[in-house]
Amino acid sequence: MLGRWLVLLMALFATPVGATSVSQQPNTRVELLAESASPAPGAPLRVGVSMTARPGWHTYWQNPGDSGMETRAQWRLPEGASVSAFRYPVPSTYVVEGLMNHVYEGEAILLAEVQVPPDARGAFPLRLQLDWLVCDDRICVPESAVLELPLRIGTGAPDAAAKRRLDAAEAALPRPLATPLSFMKEAGRFRIAVPVAEAATVRAAHFFPLGDDVTALAAPQQASVAGDLLIIETDASSVPGVPETVEGVLRIERDSGVSGLAVIARPGAVPPAGTPLSGSGGSGGPAAPGFAAVFGLAVLGGLLLNLMPCVFPILSLKAMSLARAGGSESAAKRDALAYGAGAVLVCMALGAAVIALAAAGQGAGWAFQLQDPRVILLLMLLTLAIGLNFAGLFELQLSTGSIGEGLAARGGWQGSFWTGGLAAFVATPCTGPFMAGALGAALVLPPAPGLAVFAGLGFGLALPFLLIGFVPALRRRMPQPGPWMATFRRVLAIPMLLTAVALAWVLGRQAGADALALGLLAALAVALGLWWLGLRQARGRRALAPALFALVAALAAPAALARLPVPEARGDAPASAGLPEAVPFSPAALHELVAQGRPVFLYFTADWCVTCKVNERGALSRPEVAAAFRQAGITVMVGDWTRPDPAIARFLAERQRAGIPLYLFYDSDGGVTELPQILTVGRLTEVAAGQQARGVQLATSGRARRDS
Amino acid sequence: MMKELILGSAAALAMALAAPAAAAPTVGQPAPAFTVTDSNGRQHSLADFRGKTVVLEWTNAECPFVKKFYEPGVMQRLQAEATRNGVIWLTVNSGAPGKQGHVTPAAANAKMKAAGFNSTAYIPDPEGALGRLYGARTTPHMFVIAPDGTLAYAGAIDDTPTANSADIAKARNFVQLALADIAAGRPVATPTSRPYGCSVKY
Repeated sequence: MLGRWLVLLMALFATPVGATSVSQQPNTRVELLAESASPAPGAPLRVGVSMTARPGWHTYWQNPGDSGMETRAQWRLPEGASVSAFRYPVPSTYVVEGLMNHVYEGEAILLAEVQVPPDARGAFPLRLQLDWLVCDDRICVPESAVLELPLRIGTGAPDAAAKRRLDAAEAALPRPLATPLSFMKEAGRFRIAVPVAEAATVRAAHFFPLGDDVTALAAPQQASVAGDLLIIETDASSVPGVPETVEGVLRIERDSGVSGLAVIARPGAVPPAGTPLSGSGGSGGPAAPGFAAVFGLAVLGGLLLNLMPCVFPILSLKAMSLARAGGSESAAKRDALAYGAGAVLVCMALGAAVIALAAAGQGAGWAFQLQDPRVILLLMLLTLAIGLNFAGLFELQLSTGSIGEGLAARGGWQGSFWTGGLAAFVATPCTGPFMAGALGAALVLPPAPGLAVFAGLGFGLALPFLLIGFVPALRRRMPQPGPWMATFRRVLAIPMLLTAVALAWVLGRQAGADALALGLLAALAVALGLWWLGLRQARGRRALAPALFALVAALAAPAALARLPVPEARGDAPASAGLPEAVPFSPAALHELVAQGRPVFLYFTADWCVTCKVNERGALSRPEVAAAFRQAGITVMVGDWTRPDPAIARFLAERQRAGIPLYLFYDSDGGVTELPQILTVGRLTEVAAGQQARGVQLATSGRARRDS
Repeated sequence: MMKELILGSAAALAMALAAPAAAAPTVGQPAPAFTVTDSNGRQHSLADFRGKTVVLEWTNAECPFVKKFYEPGVMQRLQAEATRNGVIWLTVNSGAPGKQGHVTPAAANAKMKAAGFNSTAYIPDPEGALGRLYGARTTPHMFVIAPDGTLAYAGAIDDTPTANSADIAKARNFVQLALADIAAGRPVATPTSRPYGCSVKY
């Protein structure tokens, strides 16, 4: 151990004193490096300038962006020596208030070659006056330093430490592309296609042009893949004219790291955009980092779904029936597996539909099926039937029927399978915590891992039941069966019937009073049918006819609903609950408000989204929240997704979200904060107070201006 | 119905994209019209200045690139020279409240007095409306509007993008050159350049 330290110390001191020259400025550490402390005459000597901005600060690329400054070097070299221009590492983007900055955070090494004259002898000092700009998100500070390396002409033996750093910097430089490239700049758009190895593994890309006349630097860039081509499309620069050549660097991000290509292109034809970047790595395999996290979130979200009012009764009854069965170990396991398979398969089926619709550009999200009033009606009749069953109006028997809830009540694994599926389907209105993020990510993953995330959701949903099935200790802790179970079942009818009422309300808002009347009529028919069924069962008679009657009523009503005229869109009246004075969401209005530096609280809701409604009735409708928002001058904007809306779907997709609720706060400085899905009054007033602290100055300065 | 929705939202999105934060006006086209209130509460409309050359200068007293020109008095001399020749020179500060360099009207007046500004008026623009109208990106960012109302120059103040006052002597001042071209009835030789400096603190 000590020996290793000694070696290290010796290595430090063995480096010729001053072979690197360092200057620590208030916000940047700069250092001049040379590959050899004893350069050979007549040979090129590789040198580097290492610049390390302190955390939160950045230095600039060659083309600094909308503001900023290129680093300037003035060399003072020995007689006869010359130096090349800098070669820059791959920059990254940093947008402040709609202004693009091309920056380096952390260390950046700018490389250059010094040409040592053949007749150089003795001392060969390199001197460099360096001027650069270093900024954080608020202020910019110009800094400068004079760096000096007192080299001596010698054999050219490399300095190991410096060579290692220069080699690493060299390896990370943008690689020049030999292929001639084309770009298009017309009708306000700019497009360039660059051949890239393994284009399918690219997660993100950005094109940094050297010139000012190429792209609108701060405009979002759409990166897509067509075969081996990576295609970047964005708004063209407002500087008119088509440049003869476009030079720049394409930054490519993969799971394996960041690389860059130095690009030179001439005007020409460019293929149209291809498949948008998947944002994930691997060719379809679930190799992307973060997949595990996303999957974990989905499982957790599914687990929490069990507590939702629509799912809890189903789960507890099923668990109870398992306890009642008191069956064998293998039967318990078989039931649990079947239930799990049902939940997973229904989740995957819904997930596959969402992915397919999203891919087709239909703007689908999780629970998309609830945007169709027919599905709402069907779900309402289903929950009604389950509720009536819990209430003891009728019993389910093997002979009752062969679909839906009938199947769910079947004994054995089939019954368990359908119960699991039912639980998953009924759970869709209840987007819970953790789910939104996971499902959003699932939509941007390639289909296979995306589906796996949906499967994870089903797995999480089934987890409690699986545990009960596989852990006998847990099963033993289940309460002993007894007459109380019948009472408990009747109590569970209440949340189920309440769910049906909630769905009736959704139906009314979604499709109007006529549809609601039709739905209630169907509900009556179903209830009567089931009552009749119960009566016959009580007398021990065959119950096929009433069961069929209920079934026909349940299926005919949604079909009839389709024939009803759909009422006109509710226009801009947002759902009654929530914050007063809210304006309807539109991307243009949002953009304008943000551009004006107005604070905006944007949230998305839908009548079928239980979590959304809970928040609206709860924290969002509290007068103190409304007062705090008004005082802080926050505009409230609501996107209502009760019915399909491509603008909302696209907005969600841009934020990589599959579902709602979504709560975003845009402060007057342009910062965006995403609030948790479970809103509290405290969190909301805190947001308003934070904004007001900014806004006070705004208000007073405005007033002062009017007074003067 | 669905199609209309899609078309409508596509149009909305296109509008949103077509109005980025810094949509720069085009040199050679009519300069965007504005009415602003200066630090003394007086209103100025671009339309009122027909027949006169107008210079818009974006400033932020704490920005090193602005200090580069104010500390040696170069900007003040430029303003004096221009206004003497009948040019309207509006110094604009689009710094938002709480951001670096933000001024209240009173602070703007104090600053003008202390630093010896010679501009026609100081326009506090805390909401950034004028800044975004002209796509001002940096401090300084300079615009020259010809007497006929067309935008004649937009860009940097000179050709040496540093924060060091010592570089001014060797630099070509694009604003001075543009004003000379306009006064002589010539087309502006360098009508655009890449602005440099601190970002405008919207």
